Amino acid sequence: MKEEIFISGRNIPHIDPHLAIWEFPISLYLFLGGLSAGILLFSAITHLLNKDEELKGASKWAPLIVPFALAIGLLALIIDLGNPFYSWKLYTTIRLESPMSWGAWVLLIVTPLSILWVFSDLRKLFPKLNYSKLPFLFKVEDFCVKNKRYMALALIPLTIILGIYTGILLSAFNARPLWNNAILGPLFLVSGLSTAAATIILFAKSAHERHLFSKIDILLIVIELGLIIHLIMGYYAGNEMQVEAVKILVGGDLTTLFFGFFVALGLLLPLVLEVFELMGFKVPVVVPAILIIVSGLIFRVLIVEAGQITRILY
Amino acid sequence: MNIKSDKQHSYWNPYLGGFLLGLILIMTFFFTGRGLGASGAAKAIVTQSVHAIAPTHAENNAFYADQFLGGKVPISNWLVFEVIGALAGAFISGSLSGRVFFRVQHSPKITARKRLWFALLGGALFGFGAQFAKGCTSGAALSGMTVLSLGGYIAMLSIFGGAFLFAYFFRKLWL
Repeated sequence: MKEEIFISGRNIPHIDPHLAIWEFPISLYLFLGGLSAGILLFSAITHLLNKDEELKGASKWAPLIVPFALAIGLLALIIDLGNPFYSWKLYTTIRLESPMSWGAWVLLIVTPLSILWVFSDLRKLFPKLNYSKLPFLFKVEDFCVKNKRYMALALIPLTIILGIYTGILLSAFNARPLWNNAILGPLFLVSGLSTAAATIILFAKSAHERHLFSKIDILLIVIELGLIIHLIMGYYAGNEMQVEAVKILVGGDLTTLFFGFFVALGLLLPLVLEVFELMGFKVPVVVPAILIIVSGLIFRVLIVEAGQITRILY
Repeated sequence: MNIKSDKQHSYWNPYLGGFLLGLILIMTFFFTGRGLGASGAAKAIVTQSVHAIAPTHAENNAFYADQFLGGKVPISNWLVFEVIGALAGAFISGSLSGRVFFRVQHSPKITARKRLWFALLGGALFGFGAQFAKGCTSGAALSGMTVLSLGGYIAMLSIFGGAFLFAYFFRKLWL
């Protein structure tokens, strides 16, 4: 396809009227990216506060899944590309005005950092591991342990960028009125942090840690609900395209998914259950935690899908 | 607040529960103009799933088609919201009385696995039945009876009568 010779604004294959380009792999990637960013952020903060031993789930166990999550996410991202073998071209340029460029570069740094981060604690978690056949690994481990504080300091801004970029990536599209909302970036960040806190609850090694992350999660869910209200208000306060676009979420095709499955089952119910758990009622924390994690994925599938159904009116 | 272990099996009085269910039914009629339902939500989810995979089939099939009439989206059926609410309410109520945990209740004479297989079988049969009858215990029998529909009475008698008869053959699963 030679885009440079198109003279019409219509009937351009893969551009217009073909607006549905991104499918499930993109949603999965956005979810895994946000989740990984959240877990690493919590882990880095735990380390900087010298709470590694007290909060083992957050500092050591939950990060174990991050390299895998990032690998699966990146694989999904590449599978979705029309020309996967050209993906390296993202690294031939730095474009500060392009969220995709930010994301590509941040991922290039965060992914290896996450592996080193996990590696620094690997033998503490699995004491039977022996690197005697590959002695250089001891050196790598020494290096990681010595520089862990610096890694944590680097991870904090990087993971915030990673978490927020997943939303900015969508909101930067002017042509998709449902995505073109400034709240989407912070909302994706908070949602990613919330799914990360829920994952840490699943990995928590003590009641103290579980309760701490339940509290953090409650706070994040409340912020998320506030952001969702602002998101919806933003559409209604926007132009006619946005007013039209939000109909898909309010009283349209995706209302059940958005309000029923995401807001009610994925945010409000876990919020109530987590509050009950803190109050001393017997609630298996795995229930709210899994609801939050699953709804995080539903939310991304929903926004990616809805954004591509809605379009500029003309 | 502390969890009271003796609360684990404390249920409400079934007559009180039934009375409250009746009040809910009245309120449902008042607010929505129609009765309760449960199997309708399952049907909506099934129809939507079939539509996601084979849209033309779902829109032309006699069983699914009426749910698309007038550009409707099956999963936006209010019954889906009702069932989500029931699920959330059940979790909240269970948490308040300390009954939310994983367990399989079954007769000591059978294994948990057997119980689950028979539950699946029974549930599938009930699903078929509910579609033949155009409604389940709540949609056809309860809501039907409140508006004095003959079909509602027949459905209620058949559901409980059928269960009464079948209970004899399958009593070993429980006793």
